[in-house]
Formats: sequence, C-alpha cells, structure tokens
Amino acid sequence: MTDRHPELAGAYARAFRDYVNGAGESALLRAYQAGRDLLTEGLGVLELAALHQRTLADVLVELPPSRHARVARSSSEFFAEALGPFEMSQRGLRGQIEEQQRLERLKDEFISVVSHELRTPLTSIHGALNLLIEGKAGELPSDAQRFLEIAYRNSGRVVRLVNEILDLQKIESGMIGLDMRLVDVGQLLADAVEANHAYAARFDVAIALDDSGPPLFVHADPDRLLQVLANLLCNAARFSPPGATVTVRAERLRGRVRVCVADHGPGIPEAFRTRIFGKFAQGDPSVPSWREGTGLGLSISKAIVERLGGRIGFESEVGRGSVFHFDLPEWREPRNPASGPLRR
Amino acid sequence: MKAPPLRRVLLVEDDPDIQAIVSFALESVGGLSVEVCASGPEAVASAPRFRPEIVLLDVMMPGMDGWATLRALRDIPQTATTPVVFMTAKARPHEVEQYRRGGACDVILKPFDPSQLSDQLRGIWSRIHGEMDRT
Repeated sequence: MTDRHPELAGAYARAFRDYVNGAGESALLRAYQAGRDLLTEGLGVLELAALHQRTLADVLVELPPSRHARVARSSSEFFAEALGPFEMSQRGLRGQIEEQQRLERLKDEFISVVSHELRTPLTSIHGALNLLIEGKAGELPSDAQRFLEIAYRNSGRVVRLVNEILDLQKIESGMIGLDMRLVDVGQLLADAVEANHAYAARFDVAIALDDSGPPLFVHADPDRLLQVLANLLCNAARFSPPGATVTVRAERLRGRVRVCVADHGPGIPEAFRTRIFGKFAQGDPSVPSWREGTGLGLSISKAIVERLGGRIGFESEVGRGSVFHFDLPEWREPRNPASGPLRR
Repeated sequence: MKAPPLRRVLLVEDDPDIQAIVSFALESVGGLSVEVCASGPEAVASAPRFRPEIVLLDVMMPGMDGWATLRALRDIPQTATTPVVFMTAKARPHEVEQYRRGGACDVILKPFDPSQLSDQLRGIWSRIHGEMDRT
C-alpha cells in the first residue's frame, strides 16, 4: 500500500455517498478519478472491488432497509460506470501490449532465421578460403594468394559483424540470459589480460595489469564482463602507438567498483565524443585502426554494462590518450552471518 | 596411456557445401575416414555399420536436430558412448557448458578454419582418452 491509498480510498467513498445522495455525473467523475489513481498506485482491481463493497456496506448501515435494494442496484451501476472508461483503456493497453509482444516474437524469429541463413554460407566461404590460403588444395600463384587472403580476412570481418549485430539485438531486447555470480574483479582482469595480450601484440602493444588496488567483488556475469573488457582492451591496443602499454586496473569509488582501461593513443576527437557509443560509430575512416573494428564493440559494451546495472564512460585528451571505464555496484559480504558468505 | 589413433569420423551436417569442406579437411588434409550423413535419421541408420570413433554433429538441422540425433545415437549400442562434438555458430562460454552437460564432449564453433579441423578433433580425442584413463 502506498501513502496515497487511504486518501484515494476516502475520495472514492465520498464520491459514492454523493452519488447515492443524487450528485449524479460529477460524483461519477470523481469516483472514476479516485479509482483510476488507486489502480495506478498499485491497487488491484479485486482490492478496488472490495473497497467498493465496504463503502456500500457502510452506506447501507446508515440507510433505512426500504432504500437498500435501490441503493444496491445503483451501486452496481456506479461501479460499472465509474470504472468503465478505465476498463476500456486497460483493454486498449492490453491489446497494444499483446500486439507489441507479437511483433517482438516475429522480430526474434526473423533474426534467428537470418542468423542461421547468413552463418551457414559464411561457414562455407570462410572454410573454403581457409583451405585455399593454407595451400591445402595445392600451391597458388602469389597474386591469387594475396587476393584470397584479402577475401579471407574480410569474410572473418563479416562473421564478426553478423555475430555482433545478433549479440547487440539480443542484449537490447533483454533476450540474453545473464549468468550472474560473485566475481573476483582482480581475477577477472587477469583473465582478460591473458585472453587479449596476443591480439595486442599484433600491434606491438603490451597490456599491463595494475593490481595494486584492494580485493574487489561484484555480482555480475563474468563472461559478459570479459566481453566488455575484450572490447576495451582491443580498442586501446589498436589505437596505441607501437611499443606502448595499455594499463587495466580496478578501484573502489563511492561504493562502486570502477574498472579502467588506459591507453596512450591519439585521444578521441571532440566532435566524435557524443557518438562514440552509438551503433556503427566510426571515427576517421582514413585511420586504419578504425577499419579493424565493426563499429559495434562500444555499443555492445554499453548495453552489457547497463544490463548489469552499471555505467560506462571515458575521459580523453587529444594527443595524450584515453581512459575508458565502467562502474558496477560493489558486492560486500552480508553483515548477517546466518546468510553465509558467497563463494565463487 | 597414449590414445589410440583416431580413424573414423561420422559427420552429420545438412549443408552440402559444409559437408564438402569438412570431409576434404578431414580426409585429404587430416587422413581420416569420414562417413557423411545429411540428417539425423541417416546418421542413426549408418552408425551401427560405420561404428564411428567420434561424431561431428551439426546442431541446427531441419527435422531431427542435433540434440535429438545425439539422444538417438545414445540408444544405439555401437554409439552409446561414442564421443560427440557439436558444431554450432551459437556458443558463448556458458552455452558450451550447457552443451557439455547435455552430453557433448566438446563444441566446434562455426565458422572454423578447416585446415586446423583434424588437429582440433585429434586434440579432443586425446583429451577424452586422457580423462578416461584418469577415471
């Protein structure tokens, strides 16, 4: 029950008494408004009917028995008429929700079919190109080899793009199942560094884990956090100059855990900052590093962090580098020892 | 104990292009003997005769899908314990865990590099034998 329930219930009862005493349409209108507000405030329809019955009983007690039958009849009309418009709008709303759900189902089916229909031929294209460039079907002239390598690299890019579009759609529509558990943030960062250092090495960039902070825990889906970290670390590596080091660390910040990925890249141009988490947001296409990505990594990271109840952001200085960070509520051991500690 | 050499692979895949690529990768590149089946019922029919040592099974197939085929293979004495490797485009780490709990011994993600496929399968084969030795 909210604080407004007694006040609204009183308004409903007064409107009903006024109606019984001949106030007509104006009483109906007041009852409708009070009833609608009660339902909006979380009262159930059955509870509202019970309130109506109680009010009726209170009114009848004060009236001579000769008037009971007539008042009871007008009470039913009152209830139906006062709540009729609300009921109709509820039906309309239900209809809209059902239609929305039907469209969502259609969209999901469509995406599932498209995903399968795209991935199956991609598996063949990617596989055939892989066999050719690896020389498994015989030696190729060097130009043919070069062009096949271009085709192979780009087929990989299409695969990543399809996977990321589907992933983003699933996250945004709330269709992903999150495997929530207690996560040791230090271990998570170590796993992320281990998983991404080979990619960074392609750009002659090292990833360093700054583990000087305190032990920190969050309640989250570790696979999805690794996905976010992979996006941030790979971006940082791609935009760093050769020989640079990307640093990852975690810290406690006002009851939250902040994970930071810092690079010494060119920084994010002012004009691009507001669009950076948008879909297919790419900076200067003449910079090769932008072409490596799909343009969805940061959108996916943002969607994941927000699904986990966190926030993502960055600070950047052109010519000096950027720090991308995400914050999640810190998990603390419950004070009540009876509930027992969580273990990973 | 060292794992016996892997020889016979049953490939269950409905897409003819993927069939061609995988069988080339396993036979010509990997030196394995491969029986190709285009559906679950075909696999169930050929398994008792072919007696595969490992089954490479597509998950999304029309009619009898990978899961139903796996269950049917488990009901055949010759494949009741044969290791089954799923091939799927859909497998995040926790989904791989679900596949394992469902009876698959491993998952190969599509698209894969066929030039590495026989090595990948032999790696899975050795790992399974290592696990069997420990138990």
